Amino acid sequence: MSDGRALSPHRPELVTDRVPTPGPRWLELATSTDHKDIGRLFIGAAFSFLFVGVIGILLIRLQLVVPENDLIGPITFNRLLSVSSASLVVLFALPLAIGLYTYVVPLQIGARAVAFPRLASLGLWLYVAGGAILYTSFVYTPPESGFNAWPPLSDTVFISNNGVDVWITAVGLTVLGLVLEAINLAVTVAKLRAPGMAWRRLPPFSFSASVSSWVLIVAGPVMLAALVMLEIDRHFSGVFFDSGEGGAPLYYQHLSWIFFTGCYLLFLLPAIGAISEILPAFSRKPLLSRGAVSGSIAAIGALGLLAWMENMYTASIPVGWLYGAMAMALLLAVPLGILFVNWIGTLAFGVIRLRAPMLFALGAISTLSFGLAGELMHAVIPVNWLLADTVDATAATGYAFVGGPVLGGLAALYYWFPKITGRTMGEMMARASLLLIIVGVHLTLIPMALAGLEGQPVDVYKYFDVDSLDTYNLLSTIGAFVLAGGITVSLLNAYLSVRHGARAGHDPWHADTLEWLAPSPPPPHNFDVVPDVRSEEPLRDIRVAVKQREAAEPERSAEPSESTEPVA
Amino acid sequence: MGPETAHSPNADDLNTLYWVLLVLAGILVVAINLALVAMVVRFRATRGREPRRLKTRRPPQLAAGAAFAVLAAAVFVAGIVFTESASDVEATGSEGLQAAANTTAQRQISLPSTAQGEPAPLTIDATGQQWIWRYQYPDGTFSYYELVVPVDTAVVVKLDSTDVVHRWWVPGLGGKFDAVPGEENQTWFKADEEGVYDGQSYAFSGPAYSVMRTRVRVVSVPAYMSWLEEQAAGIQAAQAFVQQRVSQITPGTEAAIEEEGK
Repeated sequence: MSDGRALSPHRPELVTDRVPTPGPRWLELATSTDHKDIGRLFIGAAFSFLFVGVIGILLIRLQLVVPENDLIGPITFNRLLSVSSASLVVLFALPLAIGLYTYVVPLQIGARAVAFPRLASLGLWLYVAGGAILYTSFVYTPPESGFNAWPPLSDTVFISNNGVDVWITAVGLTVLGLVLEAINLAVTVAKLRAPGMAWRRLPPFSFSASVSSWVLIVAGPVMLAALVMLEIDRHFSGVFFDSGEGGAPLYYQHLSWIFFTGCYLLFLLPAIGAISEILPAFSRKPLLSRGAVSGSIAAIGALGLLAWMENMYTASIPVGWLYGAMAMALLLAVPLGILFVNWIGTLAFGVIRLRAPMLFALGAISTLSFGLAGELMHAVIPVNWLLADTVDATAATGYAFVGGPVLGGLAALYYWFPKITGRTMGEMMARASLLLIIVGVHLTLIPMALAGLEGQPVDVYKYFDVDSLDTYNLLSTIGAFVLAGGITVSLLNAYLSVRHGARAGHDPWHADTLEWLAPSPPPPHNFDVVPDVRSEEPLRDIRVAVKQREAAEPERSAEPSESTEPVA
Repeated sequence: MGPETAHSPNADDLNTLYWVLLVLAGILVVAINLALVAMVVRFRATRGREPRRLKTRRPPQLAAGAAFAVLAAAVFVAGIVFTESASDVEATGSEGLQAAANTTAQRQISLPSTAQGEPAPLTIDATGQQWIWRYQYPDGTFSYYELVVPVDTAVVVKLDSTDVVHRWWVPGLGGKFDAVPGEENQTWFKADEEGVYDGQSYAFSGPAYSVMRTRVRVVSVPAYMSWLEEQAAGIQAAQAFVQQRVSQITPGTEAAIEEEGK
């Protein structure tokens, strides 16, 4: 492994008379069709948008720190709200998932590339263009229609400036890019698995990649259609969502909730996949049941997509449909419950090493448990009538967001960072960061949930001093700064570790999936020889085989060995 | 701590189910987090210990799946029972409006009867508009911001909007419901106590959304009747005043006002 970048003797020499001279490094990276370059850029861009999105949220929390504050005016507040929430969901959570998948999945399934490398590059740049359009709008007209562009509010009658058009363009381009990536990933997992890598042997992260991709392939185009209709309504006298002309605002609510429910699933599924990789690696034993975990992941994708009306209990929809949505949302308790049991059963009788990825994975499970229990309450119609659209709903979603893409995403980053960069991230900073995030998330969201019970609505730029709203909001704001501090420490850790981290070998965690067979960072073609997969733990098989061969032929193993070579 | 005290039977249903589910959710969260901590403390890596598989008599997947399925089914059934109960408009109580309407024929209020002969509930048309609520009473009287209703009377609030989506909620008097242009939606309440209940709109509706507040003032039946009289008289006076001013306007000034409006 020491000489991983060298060509293996099995590789035929390339004969060509016109080897292109490589351009500058940034140009090579920008035009690369290597899934690892694209994945890295996705991950980097996603965490950048997390950082700027968090700054927006902190400004919002500063405005809400005392009742009837007039630090930020309503229009500016609504703009910050629109841009920051789009930033955190569409520009951070989804692209982070896609980026991690794009980087890790081909390595995990023993593929040399993704199925459509140029499509991957197109998806990346559509996403970057979407993000750039959203943020450059601050120099002309940022969107001010809230976290979504609900018609009729988003119609030109009520918001005549082109902020809504910016939002539609930015979200539309990003979602289009992500859907293209999702198609790419779904085909990659379906078609490019190494010999012997049956579906039942697919690592949970790759399995979740497939399910997440299908969720995006279903939910993404629905949103694209809704956005196009909204734009036609705004500028080409369309009547899709105009109740006076035979359309209905409710149509948009259905379409966009299908997408945002998909987003919620993409908070959960990648984190679930990453946790299910990290727990076995750091307890030195396999998952309690990989079949049960994979089945649960698929069930969450399917049931979740059918539960979008869970967000629409207050709308005038026949109650039978709402019962259907409630059934789907509550049925999610079964696969989620099985997952929690599997995770705890994986830890039981294991040999637990509390390294950074493991700590973040445990933190993610703990935080997700709060979010999902909250969601269980919101899924029940009468309780939802009580809690919906108060900041209690923000708190429940916030727990899922911090547990999923933030802690789950950081766990994945800590876990795969050595593979991506060849260096491990600092352990002390990781611990400090996790501590701040856990303290911060509870300090932010528990008072927020209590404020919701006292009736503080979502998305208000100011509230009035009734009951204990002032105390709750003060605590929430302090918590938000602690949380943001924790996230920043981890991002800083990643930034510093790219250059100064301790060198990692090809398999720093002693894990059993194929990506750890490749050198860190892997060469452009990933594997010199694609190994045969014989079990759920291909790398363990290879380790055992190498050991046996060394025992059989001690003099040969003394030579610099070609350990990337598969063991026949 | 806890939701607003219920002052209507449907709000009572909501609060009851809230507490039940909060306990359930709390148990789940505590169980999961305790199990995590226990596993980490008990199974931290020590020298010489090797991992081994968890052995159970029955497959834990099945047991867990069954347990959570039963849980989901129970919550689902409870959800339906409480939804039905909270949506079911109760009859007006003995203190309520129809008893008084029969005895005090001060004012003609059209109260259509239901098939069973029970008086229909008091129906209010609530219209959301950026950024205030307008309430229209059965006799055509209307009020802005404040809804005045008699105590112990079933009040059905029909929700509509003239512009964007609004969401009506007064904590303590039931659940939230949308007012969407072109969609029929309604909620109801039967306030058990006289007093002032503050609420507001819960759907993002633009710059002044935060201050789109409303208030329900629950009064005794006689007070309600006299308030209706007063309000109607006030509206009439205002309309007469406007009529008078309009009639004073000569064609020239009318055109000037229109010009100014542009």
